Amino acid sequence: MFKRMLALLLVLLMMAGLTACAQAESRKIVFWHSMSEEAGALIEDYVKEFNETVGLEQGIQVEAVFQGTYAEAVTKMNGMLANRQLDSLPDVMQLDATGKVSFAAAENAYTIDAAAADHPEDDLSGLLAPAMANWQLAGAQLGLPFATSTTVTYYNKTALDAANAAAPVTLQDIAALASLAKDGVTVYAAVPNTPTLANWLGQLGSDLVNFHNGTEGTATALDCVENGALAEFLQAWKELYTSGALVNTSGSTDEFVAGRQLIMTSSSSSVASLLARIGGAFELGVAAYPQVNSTASAGATVSGSCLVMFDHGTEAKDAAWTFVRYMTGAEVQADFARGTGYLPSNAAAAASDVWAQLVAEHPQYQVGLDQLMATPDTMRSVTVGPSADFYYAIMNDVSDMLEEDLSVEETVDMMQDDLGGMLEQYVRANP
Amino acid sequence: MQRIDRRPGAGAPWRPYLYLLPMLVFAVGFVYYPFLKTIVQSVSTVNFRGEITGCAGLENFRYLFSRREFGIAIRNTLKLMLINVPVTLFITILLGWFSSKRRPLGPVYETMLALPMTVSMSSITLIFKVLLNPSVGYVNYALGLRLGWYTDRHTAMAGILLLTVWMGIGFNYLLFLSAFRAVPQDLIGCAQLEGAGALRTLLYVQLPMISPTILYVACTNMIQAMMTSGPILILTQGGPSRSTTTLIYLMYTSGYSSSNYSLAAAVSLVTFAMTLTFTALLFALERKRVHYQ
Amino acid sequence: MKKPAFRRRAGDSLMGLLGIALGCLLLFPLFYGFMGAFKTPSEFITYPPTVLPASFANLSNFHTVFTQVPMLRYFLNSLITAVLTSAVRIAVAALAAYAFVFFRFRGQRVLFFLVLGTMMLPADTLLITNYQTVSRLGLLDSYLGICIVSFVGASQMFMLRQHFMTSPTPVREASQLDGCGDLRFIVSILLPMSLPVLLILFVQSFVAQWNLYLWPLLVTSSNAMRTVQVGITMLTTIEGTNYETVLAGAAVAMLPAALLFVFMRRSLTATMSGSAVIR
Repeated sequence: MFKRMLALLLVLLMMAGLTACAQAESRKIVFWHSMSEEAGALIEDYVKEFNETVGLEQGIQVEAVFQGTYAEAVTKMNGMLANRQLDSLPDVMQLDATGKVSFAAAENAYTIDAAAADHPEDDLSGLLAPAMANWQLAGAQLGLPFATSTTVTYYNKTALDAANAAAPVTLQDIAALASLAKDGVTVYAAVPNTPTLANWLGQLGSDLVNFHNGTEGTATALDCVENGALAEFLQAWKELYTSGALVNTSGSTDEFVAGRQLIMTSSSSSVASLLARIGGAFELGVAAYPQVNSTASAGATVSGSCLVMFDHGTEAKDAAWTFVRYMTGAEVQADFARGTGYLPSNAAAAASDVWAQLVAEHPQYQVGLDQLMATPDTMRSVTVGPSADFYYAIMNDVSDMLEEDLSVEETVDMMQDDLGGMLEQYVRANP
Repeated sequence: MQRIDRRPGAGAPWRPYLYLLPMLVFAVGFVYYPFLKTIVQSVSTVNFRGEITGCAGLENFRYLFSRREFGIAIRNTLKLMLINVPVTLFITILLGWFSSKRRPLGPVYETMLALPMTVSMSSITLIFKVLLNPSVGYVNYALGLRLGWYTDRHTAMAGILLLTVWMGIGFNYLLFLSAFRAVPQDLIGCAQLEGAGALRTLLYVQLPMISPTILYVACTNMIQAMMTSGPILILTQGGPSRSTTTLIYLMYTSGYSSSNYSLAAAVSLVTFAMTLTFTALLFALERKRVHYQ
Repeated sequence: MKKPAFRRRAGDSLMGLLGIALGCLLLFPLFYGFMGAFKTPSEFITYPPTVLPASFANLSNFHTVFTQVPMLRYFLNSLITAVLTSAVRIAVAALAAYAFVFFRFRGQRVLFFLVLGTMMLPADTLLITNYQTVSRLGLLDSYLGICIVSFVGASQMFMLRQHFMTSPTPVREASQLDGCGDLRFIVSILLPMSLPVLLILFVQSFVAQWNLYLWPLLVTSSNAMRTVQVGITMLTTIEGTNYETVLAGAAVAMLPAALLFVFMRRSLTATMSGSAVIR
């Protein structure tokens, strides 16, 4: 009798132990992302798929949490890093350019270099070089590109055809369309900010800030003043405004879709949603990002977001790595590209049938990818410490130039003071 | 008001201190300690992690005062406050006075006029964003205007004011309604007997009687106006062209979001100093004008 | 000379109608927002703009609101934090007011002004240092973290103090003779007597906490903890605002509070006038 009880107890203990083991095997990792609407829905789908396939096999469960805009997510991350709340950080996070500096300095950042060292058997060569280069800082590969995009020009092909105008190549081409601005219709609306200004300066062969736009070290000063690049751009921008073709507000997708704004510069990732929203109202034209003038080179820097990982222990790191590889794999990238308009970060995805079919139906998708591959390596996206401040200062200073009719020299001085001051203060506080 | 005879009472003399303890703990922990810390941070160099890395003396303030946004933020905040407070007072006092007489339809419109207080800030902010859209917004259409509202640097602040005044009406209206109703009827009766019309009664009898409420509403609204940041974060991000940058907005974007904690601390202190000054001014007015029973 | 009854009534009705008209004007944005929740995206970019939706049967926006973001959870969070904050704040304020009114002790004046002094330091200026404190306490992304900074209610304490001072001495003395301890006195006699004031303070506190935006934005990072205010703004996208979803979210957020208020209004104004809040 006693022996039977003991046997039963042992069996029960074993069962408990087994279930405990099984539960412990299913590692839960947290994934912060900043995508909503279609892109967000797709991410949720991929996470679910992962949990049901690879995740189930390897005992990993991913929980995706939407964190608002990239800026909000980065602010959260900064707050946690600043207060050493390392455990509150996620395992995988979708980061954009504004988060690079903080992440690189994070104590428990698990860089791709470290991950590659831990998993030498994994092949990362399939990922597009310009996309990879965008997520490097001071020689370290911070994350793998997930949503890759570049900035392109969208235009109302129907309206431009009716006016016998070809797709705009330079800012001057846009200025030439000024006569189309009437009856509540505007030609082009935009306010330069950090990434778009960097694009235009890059076309002129200049960086916005030193240390190669902050990618090789902490930026300490503007790099576009002495070489005259900033002045050249501001001159072209001012002329565009005085021609009447430019309205000094940030472009509105709503206005473009409604046919009230003819030209819009925006992320290449908007292609899918624009096509959907326009329906058949007019033909959507996509062209390369406008050149500052005919002597400038073409191109725009890579933008978008990458996936970075935080170190929460060996098991968590491995799980995170598996998930990140899945999300940057050819299948997910091709599907994501088709569903959103983001460029496939994976070469295999770009060569796949899914992509080929997409381009056949809508050649607009290809423009972004072509521009990505054709942009010179020297054009880097900008990384600065006080990113929010910097961003708004550029927008406000250029706006002031237009609205208060300041001269180009005055504006350059003003921007030098404002932006340079911010960088100096940052360096002073963060030696 | 009767005097309470406060005997030390039987029992341990530490009792009052015990009852005061929770209040003091929170007051010190979440008000005075942060305040002191803010002062310290404002005179130190603070790195992007929030750690103090050295002494900066008045350098942070010097930099802050040299920033163009700072002067603009002070101007905008003052503009907001100096327009918001009188306008809110005017509207809510008028509405309260109008509603003070009980009428058959009273309960209906009293509820309607107080309803704004139940709406959350972010909801109404987004509704105003739709309403004040320059091209397809209903307000522009209905009034035959072509204003840019939140997209035009000349009208953005007006748009924010419209929103903040609207939000302030509900609760303040209720306060004034009660205050007007609390005015003893015999005083009003007296005034009417002496031949005073409605307006004179309002100015010389009712307003003085509700002056404590006026002071309270003025004070709380002044502080709220000085701290305006929510609608700006959601609608205009300080723009266009810095026209809606207020002090607290500046603190959040240039300080917190740009990892410049010492700047954030400096802005906090300046805001606090200004608010304190205005509060003191209001209370000085109290001595001269406010009438307690 | 009093006006004849019917003229008075006519005058009242006219004024009543004026009141309703004013109410309608004031509430137009709410009405518009509510109507917008039923519109389709294209209805928002048409010109001329409409107030009424094409069809009230279009409930897809509400569906999106409840599936795209955990709106019910946000509601729950807002409700819990608002109630928790108000309850604790009043409890703490009542205890402090009791101490100041019914006792005489050393340092009384100093401590009184120390508490009142907190009214001079607006919470928004202390936001960032409070954030650092809260995260060191490990309270980020929790209910307590959202509420804790609002537990100091100096103005509530002041109002309660004013009110307690009007309570007759014999009551306290009699209860002491009966061997009534402090807590029993507070709970069974003092608070019930002050119910009207407590109600007002509770509503005031509730609304203030419900409407907080910046602090919950800073402190919460997970969906499980977000409040309605922050949650609604997350319905917007980077590219633009999908008005139809946002308005549906706003409509949903408005409804409970508005309904609660409509039912509570009578008791609220009655007690507010009755107790003459600010003397």
